[in-house]
Amino acid sequence: MSTTFLPCGTYHEYYAEDHGWWQTKFIKAKMALLFIVLFIGIPLVADEYWLSVCNTVGYTILGALGVQLLIGFCGQVTLGHAAFLAVGAYTSTLLILEFPWPQFLINAGLAYPISIFIAAIVAGIMSVLFGLPSARVKGFYLILTTMAAQFIIVDFLITQYVSQIGGRGQAFSLPPGTIKVGPWVIDSDLKVYFMMLVLVIISIIIMINLLRSRVGRAWVAIRDNDISAEVMGINVVKYKMLAFFVAGFIGGIAGAFWISNLAAISPEHFPWVWSLWLVGVILIGGVGSIHGTVFGSIFMVVVMEVLQLIIMQLLDMGFVWAEPLFMDFLFIKEAAFGLVICGFMIFEPNGLAYRWWQAKNYFNLWPFSY
Amino acid sequence: MQHADNMHVNDKEIPKELTIPKLFYEKANSYGSQKVAMREKEFGIWRPITWQQYFDNVKHIALGLVSLGLEDGDKVSMIGDNRPEGLWAEMAALCARGTGVWLFQDSLIDEVKYIVDHSDTKFLFGEGQEEVDKALSIYNECPKLQKIIWDDPKGMRNYHQDYLISLKELIARGQDLDQQQPNLFKDLVYKGHGDEVALLFYTSGTTSLPKGALLSHHNMLTMGKHLMMVDPCHANDDYVSYLPFAWIGEQMMSISCGLQIGYTINFPEEPETSQENIREIGPHVMFAPPRMYEQMTRSVQVKYLDATWSKRKFYELASKIGYHVADLRFNKKPVSFHWKVLEWFAYAMVQKKLKDHLGLSRVRNAYTGGAAMGPDHFRFFHAMGVNLKQIYGQTEVAGISVVHRKGDIKFDTVGKPIPGTDVKITEDGEIITRSPSVFLGYYKNEEATQEALRDGWLHSDDKGFIDDDGHLVVFDRTKDVFTLRDGRPFSPQYLETRLKFSPYIKDSWVIGDKRDYISAVLCIDYSVVGKWADEKKLNYTSYPELSQMPEVYDLVQKQIKQANQDLPEAARIHKFTNLYKELDPDDDELTRTRKLRRKFVEKRYEDIVNALYADNDTVHIDTTIKYEDGREAHIKTDLSIRMLEN
Repeated sequence: MSTTFLPCGTYHEYYAEDHGWWQTKFIKAKMALLFIVLFIGIPLVADEYWLSVCNTVGYTILGALGVQLLIGFCGQVTLGHAAFLAVGAYTSTLLILEFPWPQFLINAGLAYPISIFIAAIVAGIMSVLFGLPSARVKGFYLILTTMAAQFIIVDFLITQYVSQIGGRGQAFSLPPGTIKVGPWVIDSDLKVYFMMLVLVIISIIIMINLLRSRVGRAWVAIRDNDISAEVMGINVVKYKMLAFFVAGFIGGIAGAFWISNLAAISPEHFPWVWSLWLVGVILIGGVGSIHGTVFGSIFMVVVMEVLQLIIMQLLDMGFVWAEPLFMDFLFIKEAAFGLVICGFMIFEPNGLAYRWWQAKNYFNLWPFSY
Repeated sequence: MQHADNMHVNDKEIPKELTIPKLFYEKANSYGSQKVAMREKEFGIWRPITWQQYFDNVKHIALGLVSLGLEDGDKVSMIGDNRPEGLWAEMAALCARGTGVWLFQDSLIDEVKYIVDHSDTKFLFGEGQEEVDKALSIYNECPKLQKIIWDDPKGMRNYHQDYLISLKELIARGQDLDQQQPNLFKDLVYKGHGDEVALLFYTSGTTSLPKGALLSHHNMLTMGKHLMMVDPCHANDDYVSYLPFAWIGEQMMSISCGLQIGYTINFPEEPETSQENIREIGPHVMFAPPRMYEQMTRSVQVKYLDATWSKRKFYELASKIGYHVADLRFNKKPVSFHWKVLEWFAYAMVQKKLKDHLGLSRVRNAYTGGAAMGPDHFRFFHAMGVNLKQIYGQTEVAGISVVHRKGDIKFDTVGKPIPGTDVKITEDGEIITRSPSVFLGYYKNEEATQEALRDGWLHSDDKGFIDDDGHLVVFDRTKDVFTLRDGRPFSPQYLETRLKFSPYIKDSWVIGDKRDYISAVLCIDYSVVGKWADEKKLNYTSYPELSQMPEVYDLVQKQIKQANQDLPEAARIHKFTNLYKELDPDDDELTRTRKLRRKFVEKRYEDIVNALYADNDTVHIDTTIKYEDGREAHIKTDLSIRMLEN
């Protein structure tokens, strides 16, 4: 794409080439290396603990992609995205537990993959439903209407009604062996890790392809100025709804994926704070950047893990005062989150993606500075 | 197929019957839709035009011209930026057995009128509204001019003159004629002979009115062939056409070489984006006047000054290595192993990226010609690893006659004659040339023709000699070799190019013929000095004001001191002043190819010259300047004069 620095002698005769992926050998080699690290390097090196950290990163990426799409590319501020993750997770769980699947589908291990897809669609539709007010309201008002999704879906519908299905009480437990993809029963962090990689890659491909097409350009036009977008002939409401659908769709994938990592799901897995957290991820990563979503997710998850490790280290070293920190880590985590957001807003308002871009430019512009 | 083409060019002499249209016809039919003939950058992509499309357009334009009444030998003029349509029009004019005449895009109305009138132009191709306006204002004064053809519809809605016709309409007329007489185009093309006039080329002329040189098909084709015998090009090379077609160098590359070898000609989006567009394409071969290379040097120097410390250090190290190795090669000394390792290091660390930024990554041969280039610039490019070569030529030999050979480059010479060309020095020291590319004569100027062509030798009016290695050394134009009052000679052009190596100085004019000392009038580079002033927090509002600031004088003085270093006492600059404006071809101070018109500026700035040789600190200026559209502005200012202690 035009944002990439291309070496001298690289030119395009057609728009398809102009928008092509990985246009130079250097980028191809770089991406090959990345895939080797992801598919071979990390599984070989990482232990169970770090694999689970990676899985959390992947879950955060899947969740944040939708938020990035809405806020970063379409300019629709959302603070209720966790609700659609919940819709995805519950749809998938209910389908697995309650739906009368034909035996051959269960044997083939297709029940869970199909449920992911259906969950994504259901979440997408719910997202559109709660996105409808965006046709009328903007900014702060939209924040409030999206927050309504959280309260109506999670706190009301799921807690009060959906959770009662099957008479299990609050939590749905997922018996071992029910989460099966093809011949593989997803029962270890390593298997979850590979599933996460595949889903993250598919979701990112969907996002990038949408963004470099007419749809993506329409979204960006709406983000930059919805009135001029409309004047240019873009059906603003239609594209806003499409943005909500795709965001909900990817959110549904995220939720449906996450149940593979859990023994049981309950509404507490999808608190309102998680919506806020996802917004924080894209602010830190960089608004309006796919790279930023990934960087932000890695940063937020890994920083919190490292913080926890430091506190544990302090305990091991015999600092008694660290004990309450450890006990109340959940609150420490939220305090740290607040601080990090403040710090980023002040010192790095363009996010990590901008740093990355600058670092690349340092070498692209070598031996000059512009 | 590509290989076969190379053989075709390299092995056979060009038969006398071959014409540019015949070659075009053969090439287009053998390549067809398989190969891209040209590309134009439009809306962000390089829109390809295959040989088939090229052929169809040329055919229809040519037949359109015939339907309008073009007859053998009629003149067709073209004016506009470098665009595929320009080349089509030229090729169509040749195919229809007309003669092509190119005008500089930024020509003033008087110049357009002179050339259109003098050449007896019957049809004029103008790119868009701007060119059409120029043509309209001279239409009544040029009785031979019949039709004006325009192409870009922007702003053309309210033009209804019946002698205006759009390119689209012309093509439609051509298509009609093609349907009625399907063999007409081929017949026209094959009627031609190599000795017929192909182009009427107006020389820029530093001294007098432009003269129209008549160039035959054979002239043009042999020129391209002989140049490519020295430095072969390939069919899958890329070339960027961004210099005016009215400059013979561009014709040589686009037509003489381009058509024979069939490389792809790329046209930039706009003249302003050409540097960026060149970087995208990364041409394999380049030919540009020194000014372009000076511009590149300047941009590198300025960016270097603005780079961070660590980057600067890397650059300095790499250029030190580069200069050392380049000097070894210039002196034909062996490059030892450890210097080769260092050279590789410099290449990997800096020069590779540097060439990438300048769009020179893929350049096999870069040529400079048309004016003198300073050794500083020349060494600069070789230190970067760019194979820059001097060439010497003129419109009257359809391009060039002398060029550097690979590994045999001396920056004070212009190289050895190309195959088929004899170069001799007369007893007076004048350079004379004989080759199949020597022109037919000047149009409607028998006297000048006899002056230039004697016994088949082209007299160039340039002085020079052939050195011990067989290289031709060209002195500056005869009138430009100056002597001080005490008889010590100096070369003003050498000093001027030396001064221009400073990024802050865009143009320089050295005075001192029959005077007591040498002085200089300088034009600062507005953007570079402006940026420098911004960083120093100096306030200025315009070029005249900036140029007269004492701080800028200090800066320029430092640059002159640097240029004065290691020069003999007699050749040093003693006094200088900054001009209140940049030298400009629109004011007739430079030729269209941007050579200084010394006589003219001396007259125009007589006050300044006098003040430089009097005891004045300032000189008062009261003058008018002319804009391209004919408007004039009045300027009143004081220029300060500064003396250097040498």
